[in-house]
Amino acid sequence: MTDKTRLGLRGLLAAGAITVTAAMPIKAYAETTYNLALLSDFSGPYADIMPILAASRETVFDWWNETSGQELGVTLNYKNYETRYDAAQVASLWPGIKSELDPIAVVGLGGPDVAALSERLPEDKIPMFMATAAYGYAWQSDAWIFNPRPTYSHESAGFLNWMREKRGGDEPLKVAILASEASPAYVDMAKGLELYAEEHPQEIDLVEVIYTEVQPTDLTAQMRRVVRAGAEALVIQTNTSIVVAAKRGLQANGANIPIMMSSHNGLPASGAALGGLEQLEGDYEAYGMAVAADEDTPARQFYETLVADYGLEAPWNVVTAMGISQGLYTVAVIQHAIEENGADGVTGEKVREALFAQPITTEETHGFLPTLTFTPDAPFPLQGLKVNVGTVKDGKIAIDATGVDVPDLQKW
Amino acid sequence: MIYLINDIITGALIGLLYALVAMGFVVIYRASKVFNFAQGELVIIGGFIVWFTTMQMGLSLWLSIPLSLVLAGLVGYAIERIFLTKLIGESVFSMVMVTVGLLILLRGLVLLLFGPAVRPFPIIFPLKPLFLGDMLIPMNLLIGGIITIIAAVGLSWFFNRTRSGLRMTAVAEDHLVASSMGISVKESIAFAWIVGAILSTIGAMIFLSGKSLTFLASDIGFAALPVALFAGLESIGGLILAGVIIGIAQSLTTNYLDPLIGGSMGSVVPYIIMLAILLIRPTGLFGWRTIERV
Repeated sequence: MTDKTRLGLRGLLAAGAITVTAAMPIKAYAETTYNLALLSDFSGPYADIMPILAASRETVFDWWNETSGQELGVTLNYKNYETRYDAAQVASLWPGIKSELDPIAVVGLGGPDVAALSERLPEDKIPMFMATAAYGYAWQSDAWIFNPRPTYSHESAGFLNWMREKRGGDEPLKVAILASEASPAYVDMAKGLELYAEEHPQEIDLVEVIYTEVQPTDLTAQMRRVVRAGAEALVIQTNTSIVVAAKRGLQANGANIPIMMSSHNGLPASGAALGGLEQLEGDYEAYGMAVAADEDTPARQFYETLVADYGLEAPWNVVTAMGISQGLYTVAVIQHAIEENGADGVTGEKVREALFAQPITTEETHGFLPTLTFTPDAPFPLQGLKVNVGTVKDGKIAIDATGVDVPDLQKW
Repeated sequence: MIYLINDIITGALIGLLYALVAMGFVVIYRASKVFNFAQGELVIIGGFIVWFTTMQMGLSLWLSIPLSLVLAGLVGYAIERIFLTKLIGESVFSMVMVTVGLLILLRGLVLLLFGPAVRPFPIIFPLKPLFLGDMLIPMNLLIGGIITIIAAVGLSWFFNRTRSGLRMTAVAEDHLVASSMGISVKESIAFAWIVGAILSTIGAMIFLSGKSLTFLASDIGFAALPVALFAGLESIGGLILAGVIIGIAQSLTTNYLDPLIGGSMGSVVPYIIMLAILLIRPTGLFGWRTIERV
């Protein structure tokens, strides 16, 4: 290669580099950073599931930063705050979180976060995105706290209607509820379903409503009442310890009434607490997001991507699904806000506006959630709600039904 | 009607379980005048010891139960040696504050050592209830109730009829005076903590048999608190009556009132009863009335 040729090549490379640089979008270089505050419970009642939930939602933010975020020139920073699932702790932490992070959104965990921040967030103009189903007591218009799922009562009513159809016949389904007064959220779950049963006696015949402690001493006598009342389903949306005590109570009575659990106390967690998933053969979990079963679904494929390419260390179960779905709908809303307002123009208020501006499609959440259309009327989508039903079949979790319609419920 | 009878029986037996846990409060109080706020945490420590020896070490129940009781006694002894022995002669208030610190420390230790996972607890007592016609009696609670009554009779006899028991009562009156009379305050308090830890472990076995174990189970300490205060903090025998009354009241409220009003009264009623009694008798039903002459 002669000097002339070498010089020519260098010139060509330099010109190429300049051209490529000029052609690249400026925003890829002008990176903007926004902060998310993550409320967590590593030492309270949900300490057992928190490491998995936290890892799942954090990995989604990492995935988004490396994919869509890089394209948009935006990085989402996040920081966990330990709340011990205590409203007082959340309330006392909040001023510090706000001044330290100035977050554009809060990623919440449960009822205490809602109780502590429902009055503060509208003032501070920062929305909070939850992973759980919604609560009746928080069902208000112009909300700043949002749930991707309807209330627990919506989910249980949807499941019970599906079960009645599965059973066949015109008779209402005889149902018992096991609730706890330990948390307003637990009472709320029971009250919503009670109202639905009262208004739809042709669908649900509520034969027993039992209140107990979060760690019950013994439920044998209570389960005897449930059995004698002829219950065909037992709804327990509280915690795993109550599921275990109820199962033992049913076993003591020689009965096997199907139990319906929710996501936070679902089949894997309750099965582990009972000493094996096989003890829950024929029981159900039902909620408005993907069931973490063995089947090859888009949700499962996305989970595998997070594990393989982004280092997610969490088993494929309902808690992981909950964390991933929370992360996915949060970044989807933020992405909508960036697309609407530009990379530099996003605030908490703009994020909330973006939530109402367009639906979050099921494709955007990789099938973890149905298409979500939020309105200012409620903290959760009021239309197009679905639940999925998982069960234990031959000792393994299997999908029993998907896209089960959720009925309309009146506020309670 | 049969449901009402069943609820009364179950309530009474649950009340006896509370009485067993409350016995831990009373034994420690009678020997040191210290109210142990960490009693519920001792139940959890006992539960984890039983779980560890049974589920982790794979020992049979015949081996793991006595071993667990010995280990629990050692834990009680260690707590007294490490945290309380140096406070002998200091104000009782400082010892009580140490038990508040213990509550937080033991919870943290459990989380650190065993993690937050909900674990299956071994089935120690038969799951099948005893049926007497239509009447249903949970076996674990029935056996637990019998153990509680035996423990109450035995400890009452020990504290009221034996020289060692009476010495411990003297220690509770005044550490310095007891020391000057040649009574070993250290030994008395250590013995009380050993007994308190063993009682808590028995309580854990009855409470958790066949169910699940998490640190949330320590809440039973708060459930037992009104029983101890209702009976009077010095009365071991009184715990039986107080436990039965509170257990039945709580059971009836939870089963008949809570479904009507949407919950929340079942956990409050024991405290209402306790406060009502304390208004009439500030020392509890069977607590000692002290006369101070100035």
